[in-house]
Amino acid sequence: MSPLAEPAAALRGVTFTYRGAATPALRDVSLRIGRGEVVLLMGASGAGKSTLARCLNRTIPQFLPGILTGSVVVAGSDVGGATVADLAGVVGLVSQDFEAQLFSTSVRHEVAFGMEQLGVPRPEMARRLAAALAVVGLAGFDRRDPVTLSGGEKQRLAIAALLAQEPALLVLDEPTTDLDPAGKSEIFAVLATLRRRGASVLLIEHETGAAEFADRLVLMQEGRVVADGAPAALLPDVVRLEALGVRPLDGDRLGAALGWRTRAASVEDAAARLRPLMRPRALADAAPAAPAPLPLCGAAPRVPIGTARRDVVQAGQGGWRPPDGAEVLVRVAGLRHAYAPDRAALDGVSLEIRRGDFVALIGRNGSGKTTLAKCLNGLLVPQRGRVDVRGRALRDLTLAEVAADVGYVFQNPDQQIFAASAYDEVAFAPRNAGLAEDEVARRVQRVLAAVGLDDCGPGDPFLLGKGERQRLAVASLLALEPALLILDEPTTGLDYAEQRRMMHRLAALHAGGLTLVIITHTPWVVAEYAQRGVVLSEGRVVFDGPLRALLAEEALLASARFRLPDCTRIGRALGLTPLSVDELLVAVSPGGAA
Amino acid sequence: MSLYLDTDTWLHHLHPVVRLLGMLALFVAAFVVERPAWQAPVLLPLAALLWWSGGWRNVRRLRWLFGLAFVMTLLVWTLFYGPDGRPPLWAWGPIHISQTAPRFALGMALKLQIFLAAGILFLSVTRIEEFAYALTRLGLPYAFGFTMTLAFRLVPVFVESAVTVLQAQRCRGLDLEHGGPWQRLRRTVPVMVPVFMGALRRADQMAMALEARGFQSRQVRTILDAWPARGGDVLAALALFGLVAAYLALWWQGVLHIAP
Repeated sequence: MSPLAEPAAALRGVTFTYRGAATPALRDVSLRIGRGEVVLLMGASGAGKSTLARCLNRTIPQFLPGILTGSVVVAGSDVGGATVADLAGVVGLVSQDFEAQLFSTSVRHEVAFGMEQLGVPRPEMARRLAAALAVVGLAGFDRRDPVTLSGGEKQRLAIAALLAQEPALLVLDEPTTDLDPAGKSEIFAVLATLRRRGASVLLIEHETGAAEFADRLVLMQEGRVVADGAPAALLPDVVRLEALGVRPLDGDRLGAALGWRTRAASVEDAAARLRPLMRPRALADAAPAAPAPLPLCGAAPRVPIGTARRDVVQAGQGGWRPPDGAEVLVRVAGLRHAYAPDRAALDGVSLEIRRGDFVALIGRNGSGKTTLAKCLNGLLVPQRGRVDVRGRALRDLTLAEVAADVGYVFQNPDQQIFAASAYDEVAFAPRNAGLAEDEVARRVQRVLAAVGLDDCGPGDPFLLGKGERQRLAVASLLALEPALLILDEPTTGLDYAEQRRMMHRLAALHAGGLTLVIITHTPWVVAEYAQRGVVLSEGRVVFDGPLRALLAEEALLASARFRLPDCTRIGRALGLTPLSVDELLVAVSPGGAA
Repeated sequence: MSLYLDTDTWLHHLHPVVRLLGMLALFVAAFVVERPAWQAPVLLPLAALLWWSGGWRNVRRLRWLFGLAFVMTLLVWTLFYGPDGRPPLWAWGPIHISQTAPRFALGMALKLQIFLAAGILFLSVTRIEEFAYALTRLGLPYAFGFTMTLAFRLVPVFVESAVTVLQAQRCRGLDLEHGGPWQRLRRTVPVMVPVFMGALRRADQMAMALEARGFQSRQVRTILDAWPARGGDVLAALALFGLVAAYLALWWQGVLHIAP
């Protein structure tokens, strides 16, 4: 159906201010979502995207009170005065926290739950149930307990449950945020199916790649819609996207740097356009170079076009590793651990972490990454094998003794924050270690500065943004001055700007001597910051080596469900293994047009 | 963490109300018995049903709970039953083990085992949705039944969250194993605050998600599964009624009591 027909939803002059807030979260927003249209809504955290979504199904102001003005029309009716439950069959809202959206003990009961509430007759219920499960690719899962599903499957189930209610508009609020790459692909596949079937969808995402499945892209900033148009028209403006806290696509960054008049249609297209621009020496030297030690730390080198050599592209940061003589901080030998007798979470894992390492721990969900990380700092005692921390057997150390050498930052900062001030939060660990108060104060000031929270000491940590709370959690472990810090998904749930901020801080800490191990699924974070890659599969280490060498192992990474960054994929088509767009640009002549 | 076993025994196909009443009937029958021998007519069929339905696996999973409950009940009632007017078996200071105490304690321990086993049997063959349905058929409001059954789902979530919080704080040197009771209690604050904040957040999000799925909408609810009462349900209900009636009659006549 044409988007010009009666829209699935329309907001006119909507302004909303949360109760107690000084400024509006939405400012005079007007937006139209046509029937059968997939609209992608992007912007930094706090831009008003989720607020807008919640106005559509009346979660605002019913659950989150405040002053709402303007009109919201869904399926031709003004929803003012309706309750969230009244709109259950009109607007389906899926949020990023899939665990909070599932209530039942089987997939079929979960999908039926909403239909039961809405009084759908039993034969119709059976038809819709089958159809919804087929759309999200869960046909045959009817009797499975949702608890046993993967993250991606759970989120697809949440979508199916709402699809079965046959809403006029489906709103997906960051549905892939907490998913691994496999889960993200599953959701995007569902989105492609929905688009084919003519569903009306409002998708809120931080993943710019989602634009591939959208008819329109809407960009928000500080509560306002600042751009609204076709993705192909908006995405090439990389400067604007960066300013709005949206990560531009690698192909568009290349296009912007090289002055392309049209967008590259695919990785292959981008590679074809770059091939004629390759420096002759770069083409002659296309075989991967042996890793050479270059003392590059932190973010990938941002080398101006035409000023660097291709050998830097091949042996830059991703080829660096600590010298063999560097102190071994953690040595793991023959580690085995099983949660169930028939399946080992870790099976014969051996590795060393040396001072100066920056390791990315990669693998599918359930491959053993978190189990291994918890064994490194004594949170988990392996059933077999040995862990030594700085030459001492871990089993002989108390957890407090281990914490002084090995810090562990959990994925969700809210699972540790408890104090009334950021200062006290950070001071908690050094105080537990029995340090004098003046030493505690010195450390707190130092680490708060190191994570960019210098001014937040007296503030309430619960009022900080998600990215700031994540950095506060890092600071609270750094206060013990460990030699090694392990971070579980440090960028999950953060917008692009906060992800960059977090990784820049970590890179700076690494440059200052801190050894880092990060568990992450984010391709560009791995490529641009880590130096060594360790890949786990079914509890075994299947790769351990320099990162650039890892990124050349495409088949291995595909089996680990790790998607290479687009710039690396383009580079691979040219016989290179660049870690960033900047590195790829080093290999080509400037000023070329395509 | 869930005890439900997704298999197809005839117990799974009994009407949810009959299954709920069956559990209550076993509770009542066990409750009125003091003499250990009279627990056998309840315990043996119950064990057979557990074996038949596969619920035995859950009993094995929770064998530590059964063992602990049995030993503790036996110990406590043996030691604290008190005098029965006859010479004690053994006495030392305030502790007085009467001749009746061991038998009474055994009866109590078996009673507790039946309570546990009957509960596990019920949860092994009944989905939470069926439990909620049975409660509504017995006249309780749907919201009450749903909320109660939701608690079953949330307990493991909160336990998992508490374990993670505890690990996160231990990484920062939290020590709950040393010091006096007051000190230890104060040290639980860094665990309790994130756990409760997380629980509140989760409850809030769930409430929003529930309403977005039409919970408490003004429509008349329908249900996915039809549960017509069948011949087997009637027979099972009659058998349960007979069991309870027989035990209440025996209890009334004093047969089930332990005479000092």
